[in-house]
Amino acid sequence: MAEASTEHDDKNRLKSRRDFLSFIPLALLAGMAATIAAAAFRFLRPTQIFEEAKWTDIGPLSQFTGDKPIMRSVSTERAAGWASMVEEHFVFVLPDKNYQVLSAACPHEGCNVVWRDEDKNFFCPCHDSLFAADGSRVSGPSRRGLDPLPSEQENGVLKVKYQSYVNNTNERVVRG
Amino acid sequence: MANEVDRTGLLKRLARSTALDEISRSLLDEPAERLSAWLRTTAGIVAMLLALQFVTGALLSFYYLPSTAGAHTTIAYIEKVASAGYWFRSLHHFGSQLLTLFLVLHLAQMFWRRAYARKPVAWIAAVLLLAFVTGNGATGYSLPWDARAFFSTRIAEGMANGLPMIGGAARRWLLGGTEISPLTLVRFYALHLLVIPFIILLTVIARLFIFREISAGEERRAWAKQQFARNAIAASVVFFSLALFATRFHAPLGPPATELLPGYLPRPGAQFLWLFQLLKYLPGRIATAAAATLLLVIFVALIALPFLNKSTSREFMGRPLRRIGQTIFAAMLALFFTLTALAYIADFSNTRVREQLARQRADEQAFLNQPFEPVRMAVTEEQNAGEQVQDTATSITGNSNAGNSNSQTPSVSSSSQPPAAYTKSCSSCHGSRGQGFFPYPKLLGVSAKPNRTIEDLIALMNNPEAYGLKPPMKSFAGKLSEAEEREIAEWVEGLKKPQGRQR
Repeated sequence: MAEASTEHDDKNRLKSRRDFLSFIPLALLAGMAATIAAAAFRFLRPTQIFEEAKWTDIGPLSQFTGDKPIMRSVSTERAAGWASMVEEHFVFVLPDKNYQVLSAACPHEGCNVVWRDEDKNFFCPCHDSLFAADGSRVSGPSRRGLDPLPSEQENGVLKVKYQSYVNNTNERVVRG
Repeated sequence: MANEVDRTGLLKRLARSTALDEISRSLLDEPAERLSAWLRTTAGIVAMLLALQFVTGALLSFYYLPSTAGAHTTIAYIEKVASAGYWFRSLHHFGSQLLTLFLVLHLAQMFWRRAYARKPVAWIAAVLLLAFVTGNGATGYSLPWDARAFFSTRIAEGMANGLPMIGGAARRWLLGGTEISPLTLVRFYALHLLVIPFIILLTVIARLFIFREISAGEERRAWAKQQFARNAIAASVVFFSLALFATRFHAPLGPPATELLPGYLPRPGAQFLWLFQLLKYLPGRIATAAAATLLLVIFVALIALPFLNKSTSREFMGRPLRRIGQTIFAAMLALFFTLTALAYIADFSNTRVREQLARQRADEQAFLNQPFEPVRMAVTEEQNAGEQVQDTATSITGNSNAGNSNSQTPSVSSSSQPPAAYTKSCSSCHGSRGQGFFPYPKLLGVSAKPNRTIEDLIALMNNPEAYGLKPPMKSFAGKLSEAEEREIAEWVEGLKKPQGRQR
């Protein structure tokens, strides 16, 4: 009886040693893969593409007269990996509303709205959202009126701080 | 020992439902012990390095842009900004050199124990891999589009041209035109990322799944398991050494090809140094042709080896023939390593060369230490916000189309028409509007550089060497009148650097 049990133990010990040996190469392969994977995770991690909004001149106040909204473009520059992304945005200046500046981006899906002179309203050509001359929502899928942008007048020049807002929300949330 | 090999349930099921078992048996040759068994782990190291090239290459391709405008910037981004970017690039760069080395050692090891006779497919697969890995190394050096890439592309051009019979056509097809141009970069990119890796994969698949040379029987399982462990250990030693090395040493990145300085000394990667040294000994015109032919002869001889061995009857001819083969193979290996060593020695023993190379390394280091400069890329068309008053519906709804007609594209087109003398004498190299044409430098923004006032530009046209410029920039003294030179200089001085990407 005693003899048999030692033989059994020996066999078990042999077997566990073999299992351990076969574990080594697998562990090494896993170690190599994990090293690469950990670095690859950092390497491929998406970058934050966001820049603090800056004050931009959009022209002397004398340019903005009359009762119609006047469109201007504002360009922004943001770092996106190896590129410096130059984007152009459109804004409307309302001369008779104390030079208020509205973003032309429709708060629904971000298409640029157009001013329809004959109807005296803003119209989004993508999904037919309609806004009054002061930018407030009239009808259509947009959930809020056109977004006003921070603006100020300095030495007779109108300045604007261009920012994007999250689409499709009731409240205005600055993107970034 | 054979009956002790028992397999657990999962492994058994895997073996039954897949071809893994046969593959592992087709991979292994006759059992060996100790040193000889360890020497054979070159196979595992080659497999690991090949996989590493695929993985690191795929990762680098997530950022790389194959355009003459973007290639150097994106590589600089990988080097300077992307976390672990320089590590992956270094792994890819030095890994490719190690892969070549270990493929050669693998072939030497197979040759030494005459495995090419027993397992011709394994031998031919290894030779093909060496050829394609070399090809991928050659195309890879062009991708950063730096000074080094420029010369590497030149050499590839010369080698293609030197191929017997088809040389001229091979050169044009490789370059995508009659000269090195932006088309060349995209061709090399397609070859490096798609075509050659695909052929390499096909070779591996053919070796594993199509051609079977099963020599290991059931009784060799225990040895097979040990050999797998040996391969894994050897591969991991190489991997972790390389990984540590790559954290310390960056892969080289020269100055952009457009800012090539006079006196720049190009040096190829370690796996091509023997060829570089060989080209020095051969007379100029036939050098690349001779090198191309030599490579072709070596390749054909290696492929033919198993068949030569079979066709001769071993009893009568086998032994002396094998001696000759062994001698030739050993001589070839010795030649490679000697030439490589000679290349290093030649660079080190010549003081001027050594100093220039040290300067280039210092420049590269200085470039690495500079902050990264992104390329400006316009997402939407830039417009002149100044004078336009767009208050009608039509001009806004179609802003992307309407914008083209009434907005000026920035940079090049905004300056006035070039003078006729410029078009006649300068535009063939520097471009119709000073935009340059690789490898000739652009003139846009040249006035921002030191010593480039209008007076300087006129003096430069008369005596380019005084401004450190090298041929092919030639003197125009006597060829252009003073008035013409002033006209050109004034126009060139007004060229502004491009803002944003041109469409």
